[in-house]
This record gives sequence, C-alpha cells and structure tokens, in this order.
Amino acid sequence: MSVDATVETYKGHRLAGWLDWLQMLTGLTLAVFIFAHMLFVGTVIFGANAFNWIASFFEKTYLAQIGGPILFFIFLLHGTLGARKMPFRTKEQKLIVRHAKMMHHRDTWFWVGQAVTGSILLVIAAIHMWTVLSDLPITAAKGAQEVQNTLWALFYVLLILCAGFHACIGLYRIGVKWGFITRATRAKALKCIYILMGIYAGGELILLLRFLSLKV
Amino acid sequence: MGRTLQFEIFRYNPMDPNSKPRMQTYYLEEKENMTLFLALNEIRETLDPSLQFDFVCRAAVCGSCAMVINGRPGLACKTKTKDLPDKITLHPLPVFKLIGDLSVDTGIWFRGVAKKIEAWVHTNKTFDPNALEERMDNELANQIFELDRCIECGCCIAACGTARMREDFLGAATINRIARFYIDPRDERSDQEYYEVIGTDEGVFGCMGLLGCEDVCPRNIPLLDQIGIIRRKMAIASTGGKVGRLFSVFAKKKK
Ligand code: SF4
Ligand code: SF4
Ligand code: FES
Repeated sequence: MSVDATVETYKGHRLAGWLDWLQMLTGLTLAVFIFAHMLFVGTVIFGANAFNWIASFFEKTYLAQIGGPILFFIFLLHGTLGARKMPFRTKEQKLIVRHAKMMHHRDTWFWVGQAVTGSILLVIAAIHMWTVLSDLPITAAKGAQEVQNTLWALFYVLLILCAGFHACIGLYRIGVKWGFITRATRAKALKCIYILMGIYAGGELILLLRFLSLKV
Repeated sequence: MGRTLQFEIFRYNPMDPNSKPRMQTYYLEEKENMTLFLALNEIRETLDPSLQFDFVCRAAVCGSCAMVINGRPGLACKTKTKDLPDKITLHPLPVFKLIGDLSVDTGIWFRGVAKKIEAWVHTNKTFDPNALEERMDNELANQIFELDRCIECGCCIAACGTARMREDFLGAATINRIARFYIDPRDERSDQEYYEVIGTDEGVFGCMGLLGCEDVCPRNIPLLDQIGIIRRKMAIASTGGKVGRLFSVFAKKKK
C-alpha cells in the first residue's frame, strides 16, 4: 500500500482539497444569495412600484445581466460538485435509504433530504432562473401574472421549500464538517438553523401570497 | 421487572452452504441489571448453543461485542435491557466481513486502514534504549490519550452512510487516529505528507458530516470535532500554504 509518493501524485491529490473548498464556497454564496434575493423580492410588500424600481436598478447597473449568468454558473458548479458525493447508482441509493431507516437518525435523514432537494433544485431552480433572465425586464406584473397560474404557484411553493431546506441544512452541514459547530454548540446551532429555515420559508410564502393578491 | 423479552436475531452462517439469512425469535425472562451480553449468553446456554456472537471484556474495553441493536450500532455489553423496549432486534454490523450470526471481523478492516494511513510514529531518530525517555507536556499527553481511547469497535463505521456507500472510505475512527499522530510531536510527518494519506475523497473530504459516527460512539469520542480540525488543516494544505498564510495574518490581527 505505502509506495514512495512522487511530487506528481501529490499535485494530483491536491484536487480533492480544492474541490472541497469550491463546494463549500459555492454553497455559501448561493445560500447568501437566496436570502438577499428574498430581501429584494420583498420590496413587493410595499407595492409593485417599489419592486419595479429595485428591479430596474439591477438592470440599469447590469447586475442582472452579468450577475445572473455568473450565478447560474456557480449554481451549476455547485450542483456538479455536490453530485460527486451523491448516491448515483441505484444500489447506493437503496443502501443509503436502508441505512437511514435502520439508524432512525436525524442527521442521516437530513442528508438524504439534502440529496433529494438538491436534485430537484438542479431542475426547478434552473427553470426559474431561465424564465426570469431570458425575459428581462423583471416587473411585478409579470411575476404576478406567472404565479396567478396555479401550476406556477405550486412550482414556486416547491422551489421555496426545497431552497430553504437545502440552503439551511447546507449551512449547518458546512459548520459541522469544518468543525465550526462542535459537540458543545450543536444543539444551539441547530435551533438557529430551524429559525432561519422558518424565516426563509415563511417570508417567501408571504411574498408569494403578496404576488397572488397583486392586481394585474 | 418480570418482562418477557422478545429477541429477533439475525442468523446466517456463510460457511454453511445450506444456511440462508433469516431472523430467529427467542423469548427470555428479563432479569435485574441484565445487559445484552448476559441475555445473549443465556440464550446460548439455555435455548440455542449454535448462536454466534463475540465477547471478551464485557466492560466496554475490547470493542468486540458491537452489533446493531434496534437499528443503532452499539456495544452489547454496555447496553442494558431495561433501556430497550420489549422487542429487541439484533443484526451484525454492516460493512465488516460476516463470520456468522452476530459475529463480524472488524480486525481485517482496521488493519487495512491502519496500513493505509501508516498508523505509526514516523521518525528519523534512532532509538537509544539507554537514554531517558523524552518528556511530554502533561496537557498534550492527555490530548493524545483522549484520541487513543478508541477501542476499534467499528460502531462509527457501521453508522456512517458514506462508509456504507463507498467501500474505500476510511471512516471516522481512522481520521481520529490520524489526528492522534498529527498532534504527537514525535511523529515528524509534515502537513503535506499527511495530506497524501488523508486529503482525499476516501479520506477526510469524503466525510459528509452525517454525524452518525459521533452519535453512536460508545466511548463518546468527539469524532466530528476531530474531523473538522483535520478537514481544515488538510484544506489549507491543499492550497500549498497560501490560505494558511492568509489565516495566520488574521490570527495575528486578532491578538
Ligand atoms: S471511534 Fe468510537 S465508535 Fe469508532 S471504533 Fe472507536 S470507539 Fe468505536
Ligand atoms: S460524519 Fe463523516 S465519518 Fe461520521 S458518519 Fe458522517 S460521513 Fe461518516
Ligand atoms: S465485550 Fe468488550 S466491549 Fe463489549
């Protein structure tokens, strides 16, 4: 087993570390983004005009046109990196579900949830980004029109729930994996994560209702 | 007291071509202070002499009696029946090679990973049998001892989703073991050399932080705290020291 390693193998090995960094950093960026996104969209609470004003600000400054595709790229990168850890073959999927059932262990189920919501997000978040970014400018009226179609409304409920779960558990997971959340702080950290999840899901669902009630 | 316990026990003898995996039921009167160790022995003595399981120390020291108890890996000798429901289901640990019924071979597995991570002190110093033993700071000695408490029972491996999906994953006990050499000043390996053995997807980067390991460890070793430290060190090593320097700048600023 123990062969004398050469410099080359070492360089090749480094990749695993880099990829781990990338997975964390892209995940962190996306998590921060969706919360910022909630705040921007949140301007709709003050009416269509406030929302349109902020949307046009992002377009005038080209943040939407440039930031959007960059974000899309980060999103794809994060999905690809995550997929490396996912149970891909049916055998592995069966194993992890059997394992989670056997253990009846919260954190193992969380991870199964992570894998499931991650896969769903890869599709539906991509659709959402595409429909929004390919049809600029973003206006409150367009958003309202979209969600007043029942299917789209359900689509957004799914998106909100998946994104909230995935991002919050993801943050918790980063903390645990990198040792920022230790045995001593785990219970407290988890409580904060639940609250965060509640704020996100609750906030976004209120926004969805606001869009539903918007006259177009 | 006076409960009748229902045991559902996994039976299979891989050496016997006629044997098929199945669950067998036994009933036993619960006694005061009964552990699973006592219960299994009573079953073997009074009900079924063919039942296979392992014990040595019966005091949570040797690590040979680990099994899956109602779904969770744990030590049979440390588990009291009074903490369990009337129905007790026992399986052998997954991941490891099955010897028969509840008995598995953790030895080959642990030996394999110990070889992979070269679990011995690497030093260039020649040993002088006449010299006084080198002194070690008491606090450091305690820290090393804390990590050496692992009894290689295998519970953390069986409880790990990653280890079950990926056969080559080194597992929490192994990463904990590397941490033990990492903090030992007698081991002269550099960060880069440690990176070689543990900085891979089979090593520390494969861990997905599922916490199964930590939640079942019968010795209560803070496994994820260790994995976190090693992950940070190895991630820093992967950048060839660049980020390390950045961190040390921050660290200095903090002071
Ligand atoms: S770390 Fe704990 S669970 Fe894992 S082998 Fe050691 S004692 Fe057993
Ligand atoms: S935290 Fe890591 S080592 Fe422990 S059970 Fe999870 S994946 Fe396995
Ligand atoms: S018999 Fe030694 S640990 Fe249980």
